[in-house]
Amino acid sequence: MIQMEKISRSYSRDGVIVTALRDATFQIAGGDFVVIRGSSGSGKSTLLNILGCLDSPSTGTYLLDGADVSHKKDAELSHMRSQKIGFIFQSFNLLPRTTAIENVELPMMYADRRISRTDAAQALARVGLGHREHHFATELSGGEQQRVAIARSLINDPALILADEPTGNLDEKAGADIMEILHQLNAEGRTIILVTHDDAVAAHARRALSIRDGVVTEAQP
Amino acid sequence: MNPMKLVGPILRAVARNKMRAVLMMAGVTIGIASLTILTSIGESTRRETMKRFKNMLGTFDTVIIRPGSSKNRGMVSLTNVEPSLKFEDAAAIATEVPEIRQLAEVQNALDIDVKYQDRNGTPAIFGVSSNWLELRGDEVAQGQFFSDEDVRSMTRVAILGADTQRQLFPEEDPIGKTIRIGDVPFVVRGVMMARGAGPAGGSLDNLIFIPVTTASKRLFNRDFLTMLIAQLKDPDQGAEAIGHIQTLLRARHHIAVGALDDFNVTNPRAVMAQVTTMGSTIRKLLVVVAFLATAIGGVVIMAVTLIGVSERRKEIGVRRAVGASRNAILAQFLLEAVMLSFAGGMAGIAIGVGGTQIVSRLQHLPFLLESRSVLLATLLSVALGLLFGVYPAWKAARTNPIDALRD
Repeated sequence: MIQMEKISRSYSRDGVIVTALRDATFQIAGGDFVVIRGSSGSGKSTLLNILGCLDSPSTGTYLLDGADVSHKKDAELSHMRSQKIGFIFQSFNLLPRTTAIENVELPMMYADRRISRTDAAQALARVGLGHREHHFATELSGGEQQRVAIARSLINDPALILADEPTGNLDEKAGADIMEILHQLNAEGRTIILVTHDDAVAAHARRALSIRDGVVTEAQP
Repeated sequence: MNPMKLVGPILRAVARNKMRAVLMMAGVTIGIASLTILTSIGESTRRETMKRFKNMLGTFDTVIIRPGSSKNRGMVSLTNVEPSLKFEDAAAIATEVPEIRQLAEVQNALDIDVKYQDRNGTPAIFGVSSNWLELRGDEVAQGQFFSDEDVRSMTRVAILGADTQRQLFPEEDPIGKTIRIGDVPFVVRGVMMARGAGPAGGSLDNLIFIPVTTASKRLFNRDFLTMLIAQLKDPDQGAEAIGHIQTLLRARHHIAVGALDDFNVTNPRAVMAQVTTMGSTIRKLLVVVAFLATAIGGVVIMAVTLIGVSERRKEIGVRRAVGASRNAILAQFLLEAVMLSFAGGMAGIAIGVGGTQIVSRLQHLPFLLESRSVLLATLLSVALGLLFGVYPAWKAARTNPIDALRD
């Protein structure tokens, strides 16, 4: 599913070159459940952005599902995100002034498909929010918002789910519900990559990668 | 990505933030509304002016020759003109100026009492040639105009203007009745169709036509004319005709080189052009002002959209994460600006049409809406949206999704 070969990423910040990622080399098999752990500033956001085709590496090769996406143009990277990747964020990131079902419809706008309200309704029903379709984000609890976000990430049927601290803003019960849904998605064969520093959450994964000062190493889940 | 997929969600988003939408549209709406009103009223004023001139002059393919130097511009009559333009001059012009098709002689007077039984009035008395109707395009409503034969034999017949008929014969058929013009009896033979208002707004129908020979020999006893109306063969040859007439009349009147003409020749078309140009300069200025107002409406759209771009950074980040390319973001913001500007424009046209109706009614102008100005307003509103939307849209597209999501 994912092959990373000597991936490095440097930024120029105030004239100083900062290297956020150094020669990261690893592979993730399709259907795996991987946790990435690291303290803040370790480079894990950079790694996640590259994995999610939001950013491109300075050097190295990244193969996603067999396609080299290391140095693609914006339109091609966007297409990759649209077809293969679902994002789940710590702060849910639902659009304001937009209903649950409209949030779920959002990725369909940018995919090679028509916007299907039925599909969006099904996705919401899957995460147990069939009764909340026309609620605005502000009318939903944190756990509900995150479930809408998961429904949104699934709508284009991506093979890879990238979750950045998905339970970080939730109470224990809601967090457990979300982890349960992620397990189900993994059981369907989707690859899950989860960024967290919560040991309890990390324990759900089959494999762990640790990142420190931009260096990625294998770790115990 | 098909940009049409964005239309529905944009409409929903706009509908959920109505106040912002209304503020964004207001400038364009006001600008387009004033443009629509100004262009429509301007055009109907121009046409109304033309119509009134045409009411007065009949046709524009004529030149008018009057005695006296060119400064005399009021209503001429036998009492206030130089006796320099003679019947013989008319005959000479008719035969010697090649651009002229036909000529009408006019001898007119004001302030002459006209009586029928116990009713009286002071219509203008016009002694004219029998070709008046043909040359002017006027029509007789009742009875007949006088003929060549009447002119030759100096018959005492009168054709009444519509107002004069109403004044002297409010309840009676005037045809065959005898009226007195001054002390001379005339038989009414016809009544003219009403011509409507002249350039100054006054009536052009309080008059009586009689044969010009009768006027000269049996009523006024004067051998000079107050006016000659010459019809051109080709309406574009006004200038040439004027030149030939000037040369001919100067020779006939023995005017020395360097001395002023004792007559003046005008082309109604040229006068008309002058009058409408004057009006159109003011109008153009107003249109420029309205255009600027519309452009300011565009600037408002740009400012509000720019604020929107920074307020909606997170949204841009999310959209990018779920698959939107830079171009898709650009399209979204541009489309939003164009849709709002277009909607503002449509509202402006609607208000403009209403405003035009009100102004035309107040100014007694015919209501007129040119499809050209509606089309122009529509295009303008779309163009404004594009022009002022492109920079904010470009900024939105340039937003780094990673930074935007981190905020």
